[in-house]
Amino acid sequence: MSRNSFCGSQDHAMSRRRFLGATTTAAATMAGVGVFGDRALAQALKQKDKRVIMLWLAGGASQLETWDPKPGRPTGGPFFDTATSVPGVRISELMPLVAARLHRHTALIRSLNTENGDHGGGSVLMMRGRKNEPNLEYPDLGSILAHELGQADSQVPDYVSIYSQTEGRNFSKIGPGFLGSRYAPVQLTDRMGLENVTRPGSISELDHHQRADLRSLWSQRFARGRENEAVGSHATAYGRVAGLMASDRLFDVSREPQRVRDRYGPTQFGEHALIARRLIEAGVPFVRVARAWWDSHSQNFESHQELVPELDRVMSTLLDDLGERGLLDHTLVITTAEFGRTPQINPSLGRDHFATAWSSTLSGVGVNPGAVYGKTDADGQRVADGEVGAGEFFATIFQALGIDHEHELYVGARPIPLVNPGIEPIREVLA
Amino acid sequence: MKLAEQRKIGRQDILFCMARAADSSRVFCGSSDFKVYELDLAADEPARRTFSGHRSYVTGAALTAHGTLVTCGYDRQLVWWDVESGKPFRRTIAHERWARKVAASPDGTLVASVADDMVARVWNAWTGDLLDELRGHEPLTPQHFHSMLYTCVFSPDGEFLATADRVGHVVVWELASGNPVATLESPEHYTWDPRQRRRSIGGVRSLAFAPDGNLLAVGGVGQIGNVDGLGGKALVHVYDWRRGERTHKFEHDGHKGLVEDLHFLRDGRQLLAGGGAQKGFLLLVDVERQEFVYDTEAPMHVHQLDLDLSTNQLIAVGHGAVVVWQMDDEA
Repeated sequence: MSRNSFCGSQDHAMSRRRFLGATTTAAATMAGVGVFGDRALAQALKQKDKRVIMLWLAGGASQLETWDPKPGRPTGGPFFDTATSVPGVRISELMPLVAARLHRHTALIRSLNTENGDHGGGSVLMMRGRKNEPNLEYPDLGSILAHELGQADSQVPDYVSIYSQTEGRNFSKIGPGFLGSRYAPVQLTDRMGLENVTRPGSISELDHHQRADLRSLWSQRFARGRENEAVGSHATAYGRVAGLMASDRLFDVSREPQRVRDRYGPTQFGEHALIARRLIEAGVPFVRVARAWWDSHSQNFESHQELVPELDRVMSTLLDDLGERGLLDHTLVITTAEFGRTPQINPSLGRDHFATAWSSTLSGVGVNPGAVYGKTDADGQRVADGEVGAGEFFATIFQALGIDHEHELYVGARPIPLVNPGIEPIREVLA
Repeated sequence: MKLAEQRKIGRQDILFCMARAADSSRVFCGSSDFKVYELDLAADEPARRTFSGHRSYVTGAALTAHGTLVTCGYDRQLVWWDVESGKPFRRTIAHERWARKVAASPDGTLVASVADDMVARVWNAWTGDLLDELRGHEPLTPQHFHSMLYTCVFSPDGEFLATADRVGHVVVWELASGNPVATLESPEHYTWDPRQRRRSIGGVRSLAFAPDGNLLAVGGVGQIGNVDGLGGKALVHVYDWRRGERTHKFEHDGHKGLVEDLHFLRDGRQLLAGGGAQKGFLLLVDVERQEFVYDTEAPMHVHQLDLDLSTNQLIAVGHGAVVVWQMDDEA
């Protein structure tokens, strides 16, 4: 199957690049896409230039100390809640900066029941929206979006995952699954930059360019008269490598003005979020920034005093920065984890794993800002209203990005919908 | 020493602190349900009264010379209570961040409070007037996160106040001048994991001056491999604080977790420690012999201890329980 078959049918197969090249100018001036009566066209236009940053709170942030506080309840812990810019909506006092911006960009989902309280299982689930099948490994969200949003001839990576801490780094088993290695993530751990793409010192810049020009010349000659996808792919791959070699500068935050770096704060998470913004700005469709490790089985409140204010600063700055650059019209920021934390407080003043009633947020493109979906009971033990799982969360993400959640990928002749059949997006949080 | 559990009162809440009048079985306990409970531990039905006035965990309690109770909490308040009526007669937003502990001076005329704004404040125990602010703890950890000022204790002569924070910085203040007269560093009580989990745990949670005022015991937990838990060894350092020298290190191989409270016994020859992680512990150290002479598992994570020398009882409050032990000195 051609990778950009918007409805999955070979009859409509068309590369997005070709498609957009032919239609973008016209589309920009038309009153509405409906004049074409073409669902694929509408879909393509909606998807155009969409990007995603996922803030992955690895280990499981406490919903009670972030998005769904229960002050005064036996499970509520010691923190206060605080009013947000959305009337009647309160979040943890540890997040005053996000609270002041909630109405601008962010929708809150307080009723996730993802059922899997294991780090590995929960991470795999929340990066894919469903469990793997015994004989079928699903692509994770980054790979799907690299496939759906990436440009074939992009000069930058399609999927970057930043995860510097070692704990839980491999729990998500992120990867392209059946989509194949073309959509695999570039995984950054210790060094912020791409591995093995630097020009060998033995080759000068001039030599490097001359070799590339020579290769291009021979490729073009070879390709003449050969309408073959493999030939084109070969040339595209070289183009991508050249782009990736040049993109190393994107990971260098020292190129940012100090005042911008200061806004993100002095911590590694802030620096990584700034790198994510640089990547998104350069056209990378999906960047995951992991902040590990939230697994506060002991001293939950002390840990959240460290981690939540950091999240508050980084997330609010990221949203502000994206907004000021006009990127938030195209970018979705997902803040989630593998699960939340127990309402019960254990003898070490910790909270344990809890997937039964927890929260995540979506901010930016396609989102109904200020929306709050779902409700937990008074002590946060159960979802009281609007229970949704990982599938609904993913369907909502796809819809926010203008991707039909019923869109199908193919493994051979087998159609694989983006989310399991029957799953619907959470309409209330969509714009 | 041996301990025989005499009474255990199970509770749904977490008791972080207590204050007891000398020679009295009445204790005032600060709770995770934001209330202060008066219990009579000698009565068949111990529950007496409930004091309402805090808006978050009540983490410190002290009785003054005037018989009033002063409590502090994560709501940043100091509350003065008339213990007879159970009513608060003064409330002060004493700090800008969580208030962790209050201590009364030996003569009961002063109250000191410490909080995560990293300031120790000294108050007139009767009027509630702020007498001094002691600033010497860094507001941020070296990793740029908020630090925490956990605990304070008056010296037996009332001339000094010791304070201790998350990164193991201990300051002894001369109260007459408000100046720091000694600083001690106990970084072993603070674990920063820069690589695997990138967060911290620990801190100095307890302090005790020896009766002669020369030694200062500093309690917490030792270095922790996995900061998700409190799996480090219970750790007490003892300093000759005037000379700035650490004289003793007590690290228990069997009991893990925070040393939440410390008391010198027997003219300073022994040191009693209580604390815990998922489980609780009590430890007794012979300071001169430099060894643990007794240890036992407590039925809960212990947050505070008190010794009633009139009855030879040890009282502990903690996670979900109040426990009274009879101490057997002969064993």
